[in-house]
Amino acid sequence: MTKNFFEVNNVDFNVGNKTKVKNVSFAIENQGDVICLLGPSGIGKTTILRTIAGLEKLKKGSIILNGKTLSSENINLEPEERNVSLAFQDNSLFPHYTIEKNISLGSERNKEKKEKKISLKEIVDLLDIFQILNKYPHEISAGEAQRASLARSLIMQPDLLLLDEPLSNVDQSFKEEIQVRLKKILNKLKITTIIVTHDSYEAFYLGSKCGIILNQELKQFDDPYKVYHLPNSIEVVNFLNRGILVPAKVTGKNTLENWDLGTIEGNFIKEYPEGANVQLLLQPEDLEHDDTSNLKLEVVDRKFRGTNFIYTLRAPSNTLIPVFVHSHHIHQHEVDEKFGIKRPIHIDHIVCF
Amino acid sequence: MRINFWYISSFVISLFVIIPILTVFSSFFENTSNYYQVLKDTFLLEYIFNSLILLVSVLILTFIIGTGSAYLVSFFNFPFSNFFKWALILSFAVPPYIYAYSLTAFFENYGTAYTILKNLFGEGNYNQSIPKFDGLLGVVLSISFSLYAYVYILARASFLYQSQNIIDLGKNLGFTKFKAFYSIILPAARPAIVAGLSLVAMETLAEFGAVDFFSINTLTTGIYNSWIAFDDLAFANQLSFFLLLFIFALFILENLSRKNAKYHFNTKAGFKQKQKIQLSGKKAFLAFSFCFLVFFLSFLFPLSQMMYWTIKFPENLFDLRILDLLMNTLYLVILSSLLLIIFGLVSNYGNRVNKNKTLNILSTLSISGYAIPGVILAVAFITFIAWFDDSVIKNLGFVSIKKVFIGSILGLVLVYFIRFYSLAYNGIKSGYEKINISVDESSYLLGYSKRKTFMNIHIPFLRNSLLFVGILVSLEIIRELPITLILRPFNFETFATTAYISASEDLLEAAAVPSLFLILIATFFIIVTSKYILRDNND
Amino acid sequence: MRKISIITLVFSVIASSLAIANEVNVFNARHYKADSELYSKFTNMTGIKVNLINGKSGALEKRIISEGADSSADLYITADAGRCGAMDAKGALQGGLTSAAIKDAVPKSFRTNKWVGIAKRARIIYYSPERVTGAELSGMTYEGLADPKWKGRLVIRKSSNIYNKSLVASLIKNNGKAATAAWAEGVVANMARTPTGNDRAQIMAVAAGEADIAVANTYYLALMLSGKKGAEQQEAAKKVKAFFPNQNDRGTHMNVSCAALVKGAPNKANAVKLVEFLLTPESQEHFTNNTFEFPMIDGVSPSPLVVNNLGLDFKQDMKTKLASYGKNQAAAVEVMTAAGWK
Repeated sequence: MTKNFFEVNNVDFNVGNKTKVKNVSFAIENQGDVICLLGPSGIGKTTILRTIAGLEKLKKGSIILNGKTLSSENINLEPEERNVSLAFQDNSLFPHYTIEKNISLGSERNKEKKEKKISLKEIVDLLDIFQILNKYPHEISAGEAQRASLARSLIMQPDLLLLDEPLSNVDQSFKEEIQVRLKKILNKLKITTIIVTHDSYEAFYLGSKCGIILNQELKQFDDPYKVYHLPNSIEVVNFLNRGILVPAKVTGKNTLENWDLGTIEGNFIKEYPEGANVQLLLQPEDLEHDDTSNLKLEVVDRKFRGTNFIYTLRAPSNTLIPVFVHSHHIHQHEVDEKFGIKRPIHIDHIVCF
Repeated sequence: MRINFWYISSFVISLFVIIPILTVFSSFFENTSNYYQVLKDTFLLEYIFNSLILLVSVLILTFIIGTGSAYLVSFFNFPFSNFFKWALILSFAVPPYIYAYSLTAFFENYGTAYTILKNLFGEGNYNQSIPKFDGLLGVVLSISFSLYAYVYILARASFLYQSQNIIDLGKNLGFTKFKAFYSIILPAARPAIVAGLSLVAMETLAEFGAVDFFSINTLTTGIYNSWIAFDDLAFANQLSFFLLLFIFALFILENLSRKNAKYHFNTKAGFKQKQKIQLSGKKAFLAFSFCFLVFFLSFLFPLSQMMYWTIKFPENLFDLRILDLLMNTLYLVILSSLLLIIFGLVSNYGNRVNKNKTLNILSTLSISGYAIPGVILAVAFITFIAWFDDSVIKNLGFVSIKKVFIGSILGLVLVYFIRFYSLAYNGIKSGYEKINISVDESSYLLGYSKRKTFMNIHIPFLRNSLLFVGILVSLEIIRELPITLILRPFNFETFATTAYISASEDLLEAAAVPSLFLILIATFFIIVTSKYILRDNND
Repeated sequence: MRKISIITLVFSVIASSLAIANEVNVFNARHYKADSELYSKFTNMTGIKVNLINGKSGALEKRIISEGADSSADLYITADAGRCGAMDAKGALQGGLTSAAIKDAVPKSFRTNKWVGIAKRARIIYYSPERVTGAELSGMTYEGLADPKWKGRLVIRKSSNIYNKSLVASLIKNNGKAATAAWAEGVVANMARTPTGNDRAQIMAVAAGEADIAVANTYYLALMLSGKKGAEQQEAAKKVKAFFPNQNDRGTHMNVSCAALVKGAPNKANAVKLVEFLLTPESQEHFTNNTFEFPMIDGVSPSPLVVNNLGLDFKQDMKTKLASYGKNQAAAVEVMTAAGWK
């Protein structure tokens, strides 16, 4: 039996008597791995973190860290006995201490246990919070508070770090930069981390694995690439807002037929018998623009997205189909104009339901 | 549910506070009447009538004075408006019974007013033309001028939180100043004003000193008299049933308004600091006059009357062992506030970490001690200890514990504790409500135990709240009369008891010296901490 | 640390309250400076410490009774003998005030073996010489207060006042309840105002012209005349004269201050010593000169202020038993309340 560093086995996550997420199992194989949990707000992601941290009790299943059971039906280690750190989404800094004192309180915990791998100064530089060190929590912005809170959790170098929407209040311009630095430091310190977020890009970037939580269940727990390209359920597709589902009929080992688009070829992820009626996942990057094509659809809407445009096209069956077009494409199509789609249509991974 | 130290502590504290309160209620269901029914019916009506008139009059008066002065200092700039802002809370330093002494001293036949007129206009029979403020009217004035500050402080806090926006809105709708006050400002502050008024109401029903001085029979003095003087528990029972009805209604009202009062405090966003309106000319003069009159009547008047007497009869000053009285007063104040703060904190923390229903109900009940008049609580305490000693301790073969609890500092402090526990508990609770629960959780996650979280995170944060609670409790204990009177040990006097004893023997001028010192100490406490009482900024 | 010091403190308080010492514990409802001066003197003479707890009689009694046999009280001293009688009736007192010194000093009607009178005050009528003629007052009695000729001219304290209760109780004892009920109605009809204020306020109402006659204790006029209450009150007191009622029958009603020996008194012997001390001529003189009361023992004269202004030779009511004041108290309250006496 391979031993995972961290395991959640068949756990129901509750707040009080209310079950938020049912029968969850996942594992982090190696120390230092970073995983992300994705899901809409209010779904219970925070509850999962709070339960792992020991702030909520569990009635079913078990949570095991490094061979030691943290929570089960019978066992419940107090939060202070776990060496698990949780950075809250909202401001949980101690209001009567300066930011510096707040952060250094975090460093007291594992003082004797490890040789110091990271100093206060490093953390401060990393998160760029030097200028707020002498301020009090009520004097700083929400984004700064979040970074301070993150710093306090990081400096503790816990066995397991839990981050709840760690960058939700950080300015967009600065966010990506912080994401890069965060990833680096987590790697360097080998801190096993679970990040909860609703930002899929953040999740895909930071996590080696991503879990998708929908409708009280952990729907999919997989590599970001697979979650992205090979969603295992319609709910995941809808949640990631990756495209549309169109009806199609399997016509061969590598082909399907759609009433609007005609023949589509590619590799099926799952095998379907010939003649089966399926729902085909059509993502904006699956179709290519070609002015010369005879497959022409009507433009309903055009969104400028910086690197590309997203055109929304109306197919004869009234289905609205999204298509990416590179931003440098000179010829722009106005609403009501016709828009050609390159044929034959080829999709690398054909995802059907 | 894990039973931990904190749970047990909170449980024990709450239980301890509740027991004597339950004794009050349970002893009212014994039946040992030996008193004439006719008398009871007559008295019952009189007591209810007096209590009602007293209550209604005091509420009207404190509402007008408290809200009016709070409105003026919160919305307008006029000469000395910043001075009045805190000067108007000084009335807290003058307990109703000292106000009553002053009223009598000034207006009685051949009193201070007579002396002033005689010195101004020469001999003459002025006595007939000097109005007399005694009886029910005297009690109403004494209580109102001492307690309006409750309404003032809460109304002012609420006015401060009203943002410029709603006032602008009123202007936009074309409201006159009066209409704006009447239909926008006042309703918005209503929960705070109601909370203030219900505090006033509870204190009024519990008032003993002033009511006793003017020999007005209210439900509280009625219970005291029929219980103590006539051993008529059945009648005391009847009276307390009505008193409880009053108190119960107030308690509910207060709780409701407290809940509603919260909405002011979490609308930080969009808050726009008010621009005070500059008054000038006649309007400035009127505003100044109103505030000055209130300040004069509530504080300067009793203070100067007591000073005048102290100077006029200086021998009383030398007769009094002021240092002893001061030490005794401070001793009680420090001991009780420390106990209240420590146990209030522990109990609050216990409730915070154990979200437990039983505990919650218990602590809600335990804060009802404040609603029970001190004089009744003191007697109930004696009754309970005597019963407990006779039927439990002695049967177990132990030495009597009566002397340990009755007529000892310990007993005195314990009953203070029961009476003022709600002040401490609620004061600390409102401080605690400002600490997000995730702060506690972060602390656990940083590896702090519950005890360490309590010591290192909560206590430093609550420092200001604790100071405020300490001052509040201290002021109450400095002024407290009936409990001290009944339970204090031999040879132990405070300023309050010395004043009362002298006054009850018709030696008002001898009561002036301790009264003066009481006012001065209380004033000192208030001035030192006025910034905590009048929190200007949203913190 | 803090907690430890509090615990130490609490224990030291407990310990000190249990310690045995040469002392006497007095539950005291008389709060005159003169009294405490006497107690200090007693301590200086005998070395016995007098521990005082001052308070209102009702609360003190309640505490003595609740504490029962464990009460720390030795003596209960109060300004109305009716209360000592009531305490006796509740079984809270014990015998023992039987020493020769006590028996020789105090007339029999002013003592039992459980309690002893220590000073007296007369409850008398004050009048304005300007507005009340000698003829009107001639032969005046308490009973005469109900005479319609005083309509709108009389002031007296509230019915809740203990002095009034005792006075009315004595009237019930002497004239019966029915007659006293009619009397009370007459008194209420004669009142110049709704009862308010203390005894001194009644005297001042006469001085100020609010009323022509007032009922109050002797103590107060002397106090006002002494100047201890200031020049204005001295001036007011001069506008008022005293009249001793019922000189032709049983005599003027007396309020007696009493000292009672509490059951289970831990320092019984010292308590008796203190009572004996209070009855010495020196102590009695101290009372008369400072509280302007009448002495309990023979051979001591009242204060010159009392003698000169009120007259010394008057007949005290020695006939009505003191115990009846306590016994008839409830009936007195009933009678007054029924008459609408506030």
